[in-house]
Amino acid sequence: MKSYDVVVIGGGPAGLASALAAERHGAETLIIERENALGGILKQCIHDGFGLVRFKEKLSGPEYAERFTEELEGKKIDVKLLSFVTEIRKNGKFYLSVVSREGIEEIEAKAVVLATGCRERTAKQVSIHGTRPAGVFTAGTAQRYVNIEGFMPTKRCVILGSGDIGLIMARRITLEGGVVLGVYEAKSTPSGLTRNIHQCLYDYDIPLHLSSTVTRVFGEGRLEGVEVAKVDEKMRPLPGTEERIDCDALILSVGLIPENELAEKLSVSSDPRSKGATCDGQMMTDVGGVFTCGNATHVNDLVDYVSESGEIAGKNAALYDGKNAKYAFVRPDDNLLYVVPQRLNLSADNSETVIYFRSKEVRGKSVVTVKADGKTVLQKKYPFLRPPEMERIKADFSSFPLKENSVVEITVEEG
Amino acid sequence: MRELVCIVCPNGCTLSVDEQTLAVTGNKCRKGVDFAVAELTCPTRTICSTVKTVFPEAPVLPVRVSKEIPKDKIFDVMAEINKVILDKRLSRGETVIGNVLGLGADVIATSSVLVKKS
Amino acid sequence: MNLVKLNKKLNILYGGKVKAREEDGKRILEGELSDWSEIVAACTLASERYSTTHVVNDIKLTGTEIPRTRLPHVTDKTLEGRKPDVLIIGGGISGASIARELTRWNIDVLLVEKESDLACHASGRNDGEVHPGIDLGKGSLKQRYVIRGNAMYDRVCKELDVPFKRNGQYVGFTKGFLKPLVYLYALHRKSIGVKDTVILSKKELFRREPNLNPNFKFALFNPSAGCVSPYNLTIAYAENAVKNGAQVSLLTAVTGMDVEDGKILAVHTNRGTIYPKVVVNAAGCFAEEVAAMAKDRFYSVHPRRGTNSILDKKAGFLVKGIAGIKGAKGTKNTKGGGILNTVHENLLVGPDAIETFERENFATEKESIEKVFAKQKQTAPTLSERDIITYFTGVRSPTFEEDFVIERGRKTRNLVHCAGIQSPGLTTAPAVAEDVAKLCVDILSEKGAVAVNDRFDPIRKGIPHLAAMPMKEREEYIRKNPDYGVIVCRCEEVSKGEILDALKSPICVPTVDGIKRRVRPGMGRCQGGFCQPLVTKIIAEFLRKELSEVRKNEENSVIVYSETKGRKGE
Repeated sequence: MKSYDVVVIGGGPAGLASALAAERHGAETLIIERENALGGILKQCIHDGFGLVRFKEKLSGPEYAERFTEELEGKKIDVKLLSFVTEIRKNGKFYLSVVSREGIEEIEAKAVVLATGCRERTAKQVSIHGTRPAGVFTAGTAQRYVNIEGFMPTKRCVILGSGDIGLIMARRITLEGGVVLGVYEAKSTPSGLTRNIHQCLYDYDIPLHLSSTVTRVFGEGRLEGVEVAKVDEKMRPLPGTEERIDCDALILSVGLIPENELAEKLSVSSDPRSKGATCDGQMMTDVGGVFTCGNATHVNDLVDYVSESGEIAGKNAALYDGKNAKYAFVRPDDNLLYVVPQRLNLSADNSETVIYFRSKEVRGKSVVTVKADGKTVLQKKYPFLRPPEMERIKADFSSFPLKENSVVEITVEEG
Repeated sequence: MRELVCIVCPNGCTLSVDEQTLAVTGNKCRKGVDFAVAELTCPTRTICSTVKTVFPEAPVLPVRVSKEIPKDKIFDVMAEINKVILDKRLSRGETVIGNVLGLGADVIATSSVLVKKS
Repeated sequence: MNLVKLNKKLNILYGGKVKAREEDGKRILEGELSDWSEIVAACTLASERYSTTHVVNDIKLTGTEIPRTRLPHVTDKTLEGRKPDVLIIGGGISGASIARELTRWNIDVLLVEKESDLACHASGRNDGEVHPGIDLGKGSLKQRYVIRGNAMYDRVCKELDVPFKRNGQYVGFTKGFLKPLVYLYALHRKSIGVKDTVILSKKELFRREPNLNPNFKFALFNPSAGCVSPYNLTIAYAENAVKNGAQVSLLTAVTGMDVEDGKILAVHTNRGTIYPKVVVNAAGCFAEEVAAMAKDRFYSVHPRRGTNSILDKKAGFLVKGIAGIKGAKGTKNTKGGGILNTVHENLLVGPDAIETFERENFATEKESIEKVFAKQKQTAPTLSERDIITYFTGVRSPTFEEDFVIERGRKTRNLVHCAGIQSPGLTTAPAVAEDVAKLCVDILSEKGAVAVNDRFDPIRKGIPHLAAMPMKEREEYIRKNPDYGVIVCRCEEVSKGEILDALKSPICVPTVDGIKRRVRPGMGRCQGGFCQPLVTKIIAEFLRKELSEVRKNEENSVIVYSETKGRKGE
């Protein structure tokens, strides 16, 4: 049986950064990737805008990914491609069953990093009814057809949801000669980044319909049309506002969900707010030696932060000593959609704890306060807070005497 | 005054530009000023797409323009990109179309997928 | 109700717009109504439950056009001049199982199905329950066949290599005082053949199914109840029939018949004219249409739609068997749908029952899902819509007598009807198929002895299911064929090898849905988001075609259009 210090599951941006960090901290490291190439979803994200924070450059997805994959060369990092983890269990160490063309391999690891990314919500999960024709795609699937396979999944489409991938695909389809009749968003504010609304929709005269949704799909073989309707403040369709739009595809960008199937196999607890595994400031879950990062932890807006959390996870996986941890707990207030991490490990270095959060609502001037047992650790002012934009702060808890079950409160107030 | 949203970085600042003096407010950084001025004088954009290849393992290769091109030339440049059928195994950064339409920008490969060993 | 009384009633109810008459042992209702539900009500009023005197509905629906039968686009002559001994019309569970049973004899069997795959209508759109028959009264064909059919499932599924589990059915009661009555009911059912019934105490019920409604006071339990994947069973039956010499022709619709002196001489299809000795009408919702073509229409089918939701395997722990509720608001006398843990360990929730004149409207409606969940939350209160991964609608094909029609044609003598099939039609199919096959052989025997097929092999080998194998066996498979080690569908853990096996299976349906139904890529929680492009590509490579030529299911269901670049002719 092969044995590693750190096994990273997933070879996307989180996994790559994580493996590199683990190796830097002396760990013998393996990356297990189910596709036939590293890079994860970045391989199909051919648009630019990646790496602004990290490299101060506007890179395309493949460019960003290849910076990491090239760094792997010559490093003591093994890579298994077209390999799929079917079982994972903890018995002191971790034991993984990995299926590939070579058969089933048992691998032993001192620590594992779950860098499994996220998946897209589907039409049925947003309660779209009607027939089941060809031509209903999630934005990521459509993106793969266009950018990897080089085929057009649509000539005239409607996009539901204003998530970033949907906006990016609106522009891609337009550039490649397709027509995007409109982007429909059930919420009253867009889900994607403001600059994407401008450079992907408005630059190409693609209308954005807020407080509107797709309620129904028509067509037997191939999609022939969709029904759109206005919605009320609870996002319920308003009777009488239905309108049929003839098109050949419905592309959905209605949210991403962290993949946590492997985490569940290990009985890692998940956070219903972030929908990913819970973790501490070192990205370790509540199962010792299991680390989480990237979009498997929570859905990030920028890949730069995915890489950052991967590095934190990889480094700490390499340093994992198997000791039992005691925790202080992080409690976001109700104005926040979620906060990561959910715990602080009292025996770890919490002097540079990175905290990621999203606001639940669109807010104007706001103050975010981090308090440890009632004492203010940090305050930060924001001109605005918007749910599509993830925020990141770094807090130093070293001068605050956190005890077991101490509470770190994170609050948002007007200001 | 014209209101713009800066698309240079994810901050997405809302900018106000005086159309006469080109004075910009609302920007968090210098890039916002440059963006706003360009937007009023000669708006430019980056475009990313793919070119067809003859290689079955990667039927299309991702490309982008090496520097921003005038916004009104986007579809002209796309037409050039669409004509390419790549039969060389280019690496990331290598030129697919030099000085496309004389705009001073190259169309460059953004992936080395064609030269990967595995 | 006698005819005079019936007409009086119809007159009162519909103001003279509907009249009934009797002819050749059938009751014909004629007239005009503008509301389908009134037509159903009138015909139901005229019918007698389980009677072999059927109601024939000739009431015209005014103001609404009944959609025409969807026909395949293809026309060719591939079947022109075929002279099978038996022609089976319909590739659902009935037709497929009959085809397989017929291959036990040395005869030429041809099955035609108008859709692009088997089990596309009701047989592929139900919950897959193998019923215990507890809810069926005496005197019906359904009741007669359900016990026999249920008992055959272990053997049939073993022979055909189809997963089957007897996970038992629980029907919970919230009213404790009903217990003596339910006891008597069970006793009566025992006397007509349902021998497995047990009345479970509350304690025992919750020991087995801890997540059911805590207000259940006791439950009826039938351990013989089980489930199967209904389309997998249909496909398996058809594959075994093909292996034993039958021919299956998909995308083949019957468009007319030449009938003379009570005999079908020729059957016209979009792929040529067929000259069969015997015809089996297993056409589901279209059985009445086929009967009419054969000049032997003595019953009517009134389509009834039902919608089921499929829940994530994560919710599978909620109910391990099959559970329903009786005595709750709006549940009437039937179990009326329930929660079922499938052979793949998903939960199925539903179905409902809505009368419709649209036989092929498989669209889902939000209201159906809401109603079914409202009801089934009374069975298992923690059931949640959030776990839904997909939903589907099927259309049942009952007669107004609500019983099967399994008999030789009444006027057309070389015809066998297998019609009016609805729940528990899946359970009864193995038994019904034996009897229908026998009816066919009897007809053929009139013209000379029919020999037994000595080479009949009841065994069908299914596609290996790698994810369910013990490690050693799986390893062995991968060593022989490395494609079994390439996971294409991550949610259901389906390998490329299994997909290629499906493409090489005896009845190859090289569409995304065809593959999905056979080996499950895309059946999981991401619904094909990740694997659909990969599956599409594997199909294209297998067929040596472009990606743009691969279909989701039927002929015009293309997945992608032209290439993004270098488009021809542009």
